[in-house]
Amino acid sequence: MGRYIFRRVLQAVGTLLLVMLLLHLLTTVAIQLNGNPAQAFFGDKVASPAQIAVVEQRFNLDDPCFDQVGNPCLGPFVERLGQYAQGDFGTNLRGREVSDIVATAAPNTLRLFCVVLVTWLALGMVLGSVAARWRGSPGDHGIRLTSVLIDAFPVFVLLIVYRYVVAVPLSRWAEETFGEDSWPPYWFKPSFDPEHPWATVLVPGILLGLAGSAAFIRLVRAGQLESYQGDHVRTARSKGLGERHVVVHHVVRNSSVPVVTAVGLTFTEALGGAVITEGLMNIYGMGGVLWGAVRDDDVGLVLGIVTLLAAVTVVVMIVVDIAYALLDPRIRYE
Amino acid sequence: MSDAATPTPTVPRGSGASSSPVADAWRTLRRRPDTIAAAAVLVFFAVMAAFPRLFTDTSPRSCPIREARTAPQGWGGEHPLGTDALGCDVLATMVHGVRPSLLLAIVVVGVSLVIGVTLGLLAGYYLGWVDYLVSRTVEVFLVIPLLLAALLVLSLFKGVDLGAGTFDVILLPAVVLILFGWMPYARYVRAATLEAKNLDYVTAARSLGASDLRIMGRHVLPNAIGTVTALLPTSVAGVISAEAVLSFLGIGVRPPATSWGIQIEQGSQWVLGGSPHVLLAPLICLVATVLALVVLGDALRDALDPRLSS
Amino acid sequence: MSRTRSAAEEKTVNKDESCAPPPLLEVTDLSVEFRTPAGQVRAVDGLSYRVEAGRTLAIVGESGSGKSVSSLAVLGLLPDTATVTAGTARLDGVDLLALSRKEHRARCGDQVAMVFQDALAALNPVHTVGYQLTEALRARRGMSRADARKRAVELLDLVKVPNAKARVKEYPHEFSGGMRQRVMIASALSLDPAVLIADEPTTALDVTVQAQVLRLLAEIQAERQMGLVLITHDLGVVAGVADDVTVMYAGRAVEQAPVVPAYTAPAHPYTRALLRSIPSASGTGRLSVIPGRPPSLAARPSGCPFHPRCDAARDVCRTEVPPAAVPAKGRMSACHFASDIMAGQEPAPDGADEHSTGRTTAAGNAAATAFDRGDDRGDSGGDHG
Repeated sequence: MGRYIFRRVLQAVGTLLLVMLLLHLLTTVAIQLNGNPAQAFFGDKVASPAQIAVVEQRFNLDDPCFDQVGNPCLGPFVERLGQYAQGDFGTNLRGREVSDIVATAAPNTLRLFCVVLVTWLALGMVLGSVAARWRGSPGDHGIRLTSVLIDAFPVFVLLIVYRYVVAVPLSRWAEETFGEDSWPPYWFKPSFDPEHPWATVLVPGILLGLAGSAAFIRLVRAGQLESYQGDHVRTARSKGLGERHVVVHHVVRNSSVPVVTAVGLTFTEALGGAVITEGLMNIYGMGGVLWGAVRDDDVGLVLGIVTLLAAVTVVVMIVVDIAYALLDPRIRYE
Repeated sequence: MSDAATPTPTVPRGSGASSSPVADAWRTLRRRPDTIAAAAVLVFFAVMAAFPRLFTDTSPRSCPIREARTAPQGWGGEHPLGTDALGCDVLATMVHGVRPSLLLAIVVVGVSLVIGVTLGLLAGYYLGWVDYLVSRTVEVFLVIPLLLAALLVLSLFKGVDLGAGTFDVILLPAVVLILFGWMPYARYVRAATLEAKNLDYVTAARSLGASDLRIMGRHVLPNAIGTVTALLPTSVAGVISAEAVLSFLGIGVRPPATSWGIQIEQGSQWVLGGSPHVLLAPLICLVATVLALVVLGDALRDALDPRLSS
Repeated sequence: MSRTRSAAEEKTVNKDESCAPPPLLEVTDLSVEFRTPAGQVRAVDGLSYRVEAGRTLAIVGESGSGKSVSSLAVLGLLPDTATVTAGTARLDGVDLLALSRKEHRARCGDQVAMVFQDALAALNPVHTVGYQLTEALRARRGMSRADARKRAVELLDLVKVPNAKARVKEYPHEFSGGMRQRVMIASALSLDPAVLIADEPTTALDVTVQAQVLRLLAEIQAERQMGLVLITHDLGVVAGVADDVTVMYAGRAVEQAPVVPAYTAPAHPYTRALLRSIPSASGTGRLSVIPGRPPSLAARPSGCPFHPRCDAARDVCRTEVPPAAVPAKGRMSACHFASDIMAGQEPAPDGADEHSTGRTTAAGNAAATAFDRGDDRGDSGGDHG
């Protein structure tokens, strides 16, 4: 097991290096194509000399390779890796350290993901199990219809409707009904409140979780259906074990393997969703910062955060792989 | 003794000959009313994208500011769905916004499919270093979520001028979404190829001296096509909603073209100002399209993947 | 579960209606139907058998003959598409099939347990062998974790898995095929069942391992005086292990007999054909093959279902379902010409077989009430040797 983890981590470091190289190449090509490097980042906007200076320093644009289209510019890349290694992820246009921004923003993103994960598992496990257990029943069909409907509303649409149409009247109603100092009005606030991070992150988190839950419902249902038909479930029943014991120890336990894999795959999608959610709901998290950076054309900040989030994704994938190995003894020594 | 050697396999014939899984799938699909409704919705929007003039005579670019935020007037009125904050006709903007969105979605899914299927097939069939290369590339691209990659690249290339032709306005988002969208197809096709490669008839074909290309095309690919086909409608829906998000941020389809995302962004600011129609009209179209695609995808998954159907 | 069974019940005691020991498991007139797109299909049709303490009954048949389905029905493990349409399965005098699902389940493992064919699939891949061996003891008898671990080691020792103490912590995929099947057997024995049903326990194994596992089953059965139902498609397996044999074809029992007479003088052409298709070590002659395939259950041939493949088929076989005949004491054969076949003679050719049919039919009607349904009885075994 220890060796497996070691090998997996080593592989992940390699992947991460390649990811950074990819990001670097994309930036380099952009700079080379845009011609006048630093200015080109600002598009039509007129950049202040300070902004141009930041960009130039950020990308070591004094290096002549940025003028030669097709040159991979590996020199500056190695330099940047050195900076990353020291925890230096650059600065935003106003000169604030990216690592500093991330440190203050990350907790809110973590809060959001806690809510999302709970929503996924609760909806996926409960609805998926019910659908599998009573396969073909009206409940099964209803759950299936629900998951199709969930899929039809991208998180973007859900949040726009919630924020611009539903939230204000709802929070006004909550204020009138429960009083201004109670919890409910905060739940339905249309934007984030740093004083009440959990309360104001709750509804956006549930909406984001809802958007991803359809895949979980389907997956849990399919996994459990397969288990129900499995020979080992028949064996368990032949030992006279109660149906509840069989479901918990042989159906749910066995179908947990694909579900964990799905958490890993859906995680990257949820990161994208988190950017939309935090951006639209003004949540001060990594996604919200990224959203703002795109709007302000703060390319340095965008690059820094995307790199960091890629690193986080790699870590999550390792964790998923290890969980997978723990849950399914058959793959441990492969 | 005479008839001892003549067993009578009187297997009852089902109604109609069932020739292939594809034919079976088609028959199943035709019987479901929801599939037919979804297909009708998609045809409707496809016609709208191809012939916008059938639906409106107003140009989306004539925007008299004094007519700003007119309420919907219903069919026959000058502005059936009202106007937006700049005085542009909502219906015209919406109708002309279909083409870039749909075109983008089809181009992105089409090209991703070709890339993914080719790489997946090669990796699964030849294994060895080809597989190593493809698998590692997939892994690297999977680490960067599609939307994050799009945000980064599109803001990097925001300043590059590409012109205003039908394809020019969608070129950048298309490239990015393809670059970070081909991996699922490659993975599915690779897995299906690995499975099909060892089937007896493929081994037989190989031992009979069939060429690699022929084996891949005739024997392996058909085995993989089911799963991948079931993915397509949902992928198109995914691209359409991703485009809406990117346009909302101003880095999707480029002006002067319009798109539902741009319209939603503008409309969202006027909901509480008394003009919800500016937001709701494109939003409803977006949801209708995505819902139709998802329903179609669900039906296809059922028809092509019997393991999941009830 | 303690069962006192006298060791005096020798295996050699002839099966005799008058002085037979009370059966542990007695299945009577069992019918099972499947719901299929083509309509209701009868997979088991009026099957009856009995198993006594310390005796082994082999149920032999090709795949699709209903032998596995009938045992799943006894344990209440039929898939949702199948229903028991008739019959009883009495265990210690209680009809299992009349019980509620919960009560039926409570008797599984405890009084009747099952060993499945494919141990790799039948054991749960994500739990250790030790866990699966004692799962029922812990869940149903409330055994403590420490006791359960001790018991798991004992059970593995019982089925002669070497190094049991270390191996209880391993997972099924770490065992070889034969060892896995031993684990399967040990887990079925964990609650001390009175009857053990083994569904093709050796089919997936190498021939040498097959023999070991069969010997183990026989030893355990003799030691515990269990009733053993051995389901197999291989008549060769039966000879050394079983006391009685039931041959099934197309959902029905076509011949039932003690094993020795069944081998020396089969009373049904199908049994005869099966015996001729066993390769023998001395084997100089060509190996015999039964022509054709078992009929689809959805489209049974008219008359005797075996007639299209039978080398002794006559006109009557195509039109009339043979009733159960009793060609000798303690035997049953569903053939119009049971006595002829048992005597080693071919039935009289068409035109001369009128009275032969009548004779057999009369005997059958008089003696074997359990087999009076009749729409598909086997009729004769083809041999091309």
